[in-house]
Amino acid sequence: MKLVTAIIKPFKLEDVKVALEGLGVHGLTVSEASGYGRQKGHTEVYRGAEYTVDLVPKVRLEVVVDDDAAPGVVEAIVAAAQTGKIGDGKVWVSNVETIVRVRTGERGLEAL
Amino acid sequence: MEPRVTSSAYAAAREELARRPGLNGSGRRAALTSITDAWLAEAFSAAITSVTDPFCLVAVGGYGRGELTMGSDLDLLLLHKASGTEASHVADALWYPVWDSGVKLDHSVRMVSEARRLASDDIKVVLGLLDARVIAGDGALAEQLQAAVLSDWRAMADRRLPALREMVEDRRQRQGEASQLLEPDIKESYGGLRDAVILKGIAASWVTDVPHQGWADSVDFLLDVRDSLHRITGKSSDRLVMQEQAAVAEDLVGVPDPDALLRAVYESARNIAYASDVTWHRVDRLERDRRKVSFRPIKRRTPSRLPLAEGVVMQDGEAVLALEAKPGRDEGLLLRAAAAAAQSGIPLAPHTADRLVAETADPEVPWSRDVRESFVSLLGAGAAMVGVWEALDQRGAISRLIPGWDVIRSAPQRNALHRFTVDRHLVETAVHAGSFTRNVERPDLLLVGSLLHDIGKARGGDHSVVGEGIARELAERMGFDDNDVEVIVTLVRHHLLLADTATRRDLEDPAVIAEVAERLGEVEVLDLLHELTVADSLATGPTVCTEWRFGLINDLVDRVRAVMAGRPLPQPPELTEHQAVALAQSGVWVLMDVKDHTCVVTVAAPDRIGLLALVAGVLSLNKLNVLAARVMTVDDRAVQEWTVRPSFGEPPSVEQLSGDIRRAIEGTYDVAERLARRDSDYAVSPNIEHPDPVVVISSGLSGTSTVVEVRAHDAPGLLYRVASAVASADAMILGAKVSTLGSDAVDVFFVTDRQGRQLSQDHQAALRTTVLAALR
Repeated sequence: MKLVTAIIKPFKLEDVKVALEGLGVHGLTVSEASGYGRQKGHTEVYRGAEYTVDLVPKVRLEVVVDDDAAPGVVEAIVAAAQTGKIGDGKVWVSNVETIVRVRTGERGLEAL
Repeated sequence: MEPRVTSSAYAAAREELARRPGLNGSGRRAALTSITDAWLAEAFSAAITSVTDPFCLVAVGGYGRGELTMGSDLDLLLLHKASGTEASHVADALWYPVWDSGVKLDHSVRMVSEARRLASDDIKVVLGLLDARVIAGDGALAEQLQAAVLSDWRAMADRRLPALREMVEDRRQRQGEASQLLEPDIKESYGGLRDAVILKGIAASWVTDVPHQGWADSVDFLLDVRDSLHRITGKSSDRLVMQEQAAVAEDLVGVPDPDALLRAVYESARNIAYASDVTWHRVDRLERDRRKVSFRPIKRRTPSRLPLAEGVVMQDGEAVLALEAKPGRDEGLLLRAAAAAAQSGIPLAPHTADRLVAETADPEVPWSRDVRESFVSLLGAGAAMVGVWEALDQRGAISRLIPGWDVIRSAPQRNALHRFTVDRHLVETAVHAGSFTRNVERPDLLLVGSLLHDIGKARGGDHSVVGEGIARELAERMGFDDNDVEVIVTLVRHHLLLADTATRRDLEDPAVIAEVAERLGEVEVLDLLHELTVADSLATGPTVCTEWRFGLINDLVDRVRAVMAGRPLPQPPELTEHQAVALAQSGVWVLMDVKDHTCVVTVAAPDRIGLLALVAGVLSLNKLNVLAARVMTVDDRAVQEWTVRPSFGEPPSVEQLSGDIRRAIEGTYDVAERLARRDSDYAVSPNIEHPDPVVVISSGLSGTSTVVEVRAHDAPGLLYRVASAVASADAMILGAKVSTLGSDAVDVFFVTDRQGRQLSQDHQAALRTTVLAALR
């Protein structure tokens, strides 16, 4: 099984959710995140005072899927979250050893 | 002879009772109490067959009150006069059958003196014993104990109540308010059954009066809910969790669905909580007085009455009506009294609230400026407003002032993000908005918009759209002018716009920003909506108050502000008709025009530095509050138009006022000295905390004058202090627009230096420092 983690722009969350539902992925963990990548911080002027925005607000989403499904999920996220501009985010995939559904104790694929 | 009630017969009777249809809550409680009494009396008589000393079996706490439910513990006390061994022999014989039956038992075995001593150590024991009821045995023992406990309680209550108060406060912190929680604890949350027991305990102590009306039925209803909950779950937990709410609603008569159940629970808990608030306020007051008396034992306490507003005085830490007040003939009195109480951080005395609501006519629609200002001032009082609001709402006054309020009153929000019912959420939003009033030009619109933003909830449909229409009617009813009504309507219609756009739309897309800018129109509205959005979030709950979310909202607001191209600078006022007439007069000229309770005073005089301050000072010395002022200098003559209102009583005569102004200008009337003397003569009335004053200085584009905006909490003599500070910073006032909105003053001055130029940067900084110092 794979854990797919994506950092995306907040306003793209709805699009990504719709895309994943289309793939039959129903469970999803979403959290508020902030950070920066190559774009670094940028400088803004607010009421005359200059200040640096070093952390940009993002949404982090995590989903565990079967090995075979992972490439499709990654593609769907990238397609849905892309604006083509800087700061669109990242998606990465990592291995998951096992998974347990707390309510029933089911393990592995059955717990997905 | 009565039939023997064995444990198995008792268990069967309980079972039958749990399933018996057609019983209401109190009927079931009475039946359960009576079969339990019979069973225990039987067990008791079996246990004492071989003893000669007197014993008595007493039910205490909830069982003593006959409030048994299927999940209740049996709270029992075995009183005796015997030796330890004999007593434990009897106790064993009594308790074992109860344990064997599986009913939970909370038991103690005491001599009268022991029980009395324990009561003197533990306040919970006192509360339990106050409800003691004899089940079987020698009633004299119980009577002896009860009489002793009650007289001890009465003798010591004033010293023991502070500890009880701490327990209540602690429980309130831990358990929350039963009138707000999605899953309230019927017993332990504030306003729950525990508080009703405490109220009865305080009443029994004779320390202070406890409100009698309005909460007895509420207790019965909560008991019914608890009964039903215990019967359905088979457990003793008193928390009305979501998954049981549907079943409980179905079980209770007259409760159609879970929402109606929650609403009824909330309303009952509110009644109990309000009675508690009133009672604890009185206990606190007694406690303060007791401490005072111990320092000055000889001096007799005389009730001091400190005037707060026309017809309203403070007495014993509560706002009450002045002797000369006429609630029947003064439609503004109700809100004036409420505002004065809230702004002083004290409650409205219950009997005063009763009288005001009963006797004061509803204000004429549209509201007069007076009534509206009082309302805004009440809203702007921050946390101190909540108690006063509740006092009015408990008596139905809010629903009369704001038609439709009943729809959202105690309406539950089935949404984990929300901490409060709809109506309380609106009140809390206004409380939070109260600390942001310095960030906007129109604090009154921010406060009213905050109070109304969710007024469309609990009616079905999109609540922003539904609310828009209701808000329009209400804003018109409150007497706002057309422009202000539009602003309030926009705030209500778009109260989710900033948060939704910030978290769901692409902020880098110029079209998104342009759309928001177009919907809001002006920067003033954007600023108001920004503060409303933050206040709304803070009043909702911690989940929507993350830095992440606020960061996105700030980003959006900055971008929209940039598109709107900044804020237009305030423009100097135009001359009014009065002022044009005044300009043609020579020397010092004063005209006074009294209409209803408001006076328009027009003053023309040769201009000089400090003139505005002098006139403001004379007005304040004549007990006139400045509602608005427009000041202009044309060539070397200043014309001022003041809208003022007497703070107490009648306005001064025009002769007196113009005489004072003339003498002040000639220098034979020392305004500064008189104001200082007056201030020191006045007792300091209590005051709530206000946001810090703000001074914004901007250079005008045209190069004519510098604009100085001062936003501060209104106070007697405020304008005198500000204008004096401007004068002492060596700045000429060419024009001014002064307004009082509720309890907030928003003053704009157009100033130059002595040469008629804009102020330099250094001069601006010095002016700001001087003005801020005068406001401290």
